[in-house]
Amino acid sequence: MAPRILALTAMALLLAGCAAPPAQSITPKPVASPAPTAVIDVPRQSSEIAPVEQVAAPVRIQIPSVGVDISIAPVGIQPDGFMEIPENITVAGWYQYGSSPSSDTGSTVITAHVDDFIQGLGPFSRLASMPAQAEIIVTTDDGVDHRYQLESVQNVQKAQVPLDQVFDRDGAPRIVLLTCGGQFDENVRQYSDNVVAIANPL
Amino acid sequence: MRNKIFAGVAAGAIAAVGVAIPANAISDTTADLYVLHAVPGLTVDVYVNGELTLDDFEPGDLAGPLDLPADTYTVAITASDAVDDSAPAIGPIDLTLEANMSYTAVAHLDESGDPTASLFTNDLSTVAAGEGRLTVRHTAAAPAVDVLANDAVAFENLSNPDEVKADLPVGTISAAVALTGTTDPVIGPADVAIAEGVNTIVYAWGSASDDNLTLAVQTIDGLHSNPTGVDAGTAGLAADNNNGILVAGLGGLAALLALAGFAATRLSAARAAK
Repeated sequence: MAPRILALTAMALLLAGCAAPPAQSITPKPVASPAPTAVIDVPRQSSEIAPVEQVAAPVRIQIPSVGVDISIAPVGIQPDGFMEIPENITVAGWYQYGSSPSSDTGSTVITAHVDDFIQGLGPFSRLASMPAQAEIIVTTDDGVDHRYQLESVQNVQKAQVPLDQVFDRDGAPRIVLLTCGGQFDENVRQYSDNVVAIANPL
Repeated sequence: MRNKIFAGVAAGAIAAVGVAIPANAISDTTADLYVLHAVPGLTVDVYVNGELTLDDFEPGDLAGPLDLPADTYTVAITASDAVDDSAPAIGPIDLTLEANMSYTAVAHLDESGDPTASLFTNDLSTVAAGEGRLTVRHTAAAPAVDVLANDAVAFENLSNPDEVKADLPVGTISAAVALTGTTDPVIGPADVAIAEGVNTIVYAWGSASDDNLTLAVQTIDGLHSNPTGVDAGTAGLAADNNNGILVAGLGGLAALLALAGFAATRLSAARAAK
């Protein structure tokens, strides 16, 4: 208690001193320095942990002109580094690490086996016979139908397939349909070519 | 035929390049610099070579990338109401940035709790298809830690200001940080996504003694690689020249089916060609 009284007394004395008329100062009042502004606008973001954005996955592909209407399953990579493809030749595989029809950029890559010893020829064997500008409809799991128009369908020797373009993630949105074709080597049971169909959004 | 093929593929390529947005702006003459503010409770300004570059930068904020010519830059971090960089709270420090590299400069606490700054190099080398990279950086006022992934020790004895990293299959891991030799998390567990082709950089920051340890996450994408190829057929039924295709192992019925399918394909292909 005593210190507080002392403090109050001291304050009163100080106030009394201030009450005397101050000498006129000729010193100009300082002007507050304007806060500097940043020279460039650097993008900023929070570094908090954010949930992963899930893109809508394609679940069905229809190509009415050649009677293709099959389901699509998400696939990844085989241990040997090749793209995984569903065993069932009537199911197409979507390369889930790449773009989806809902992505703003990049190629949606959809592949199915052209054939199988037991199952015979698959629906994707008909990619090669798609008419010019064939319509391709890919449905995503959010119920949206994405419509595309065939730009080209080509046979490309497997060693020459530009995989960085097929699996492009930054370019204009499109779909790339892949299967096998060309000549068949009985010894290694492999085709010489990939059939590569490219279609652009309608 | 093949020339036409390549024309088609090339046209697609040009279309792709037209709108390409590089994930990283680095080049043979420039570097990317990110800046992370990991000092709790202190809003700051960041000056680069004497010029205010980040105004009112809040704890937990991540800025960048700044695409800067390869050079040495002087960075000073001041209180947010400073009028220039003459009385920095951290620094000034000289950061030497090499071309074609990506860096994150982090303002953080050292192990004993004093503000400091560290320059980390972000590993942008490509990862295998189907994998992502996890980098963990210790920028907290805390002793050495173990990093737990899905309840098991993934990285041992990580000290401020060091980092560890590994390429992992795509997925979500439950990440936690425990003081080395213990298993009781001081941070987390928190779900951290390992996304394909992405370097997910997790920072432990804050102060153990102030009980505000937490995680910050920075992601840099575009490190993906492509599948080796696409092998989409095993029977030869769709071959252009299938000499002997029917000899190997096909039963009668399968052979008939195959023949029918093959004929149909050839016919429609012929039609398409016209």
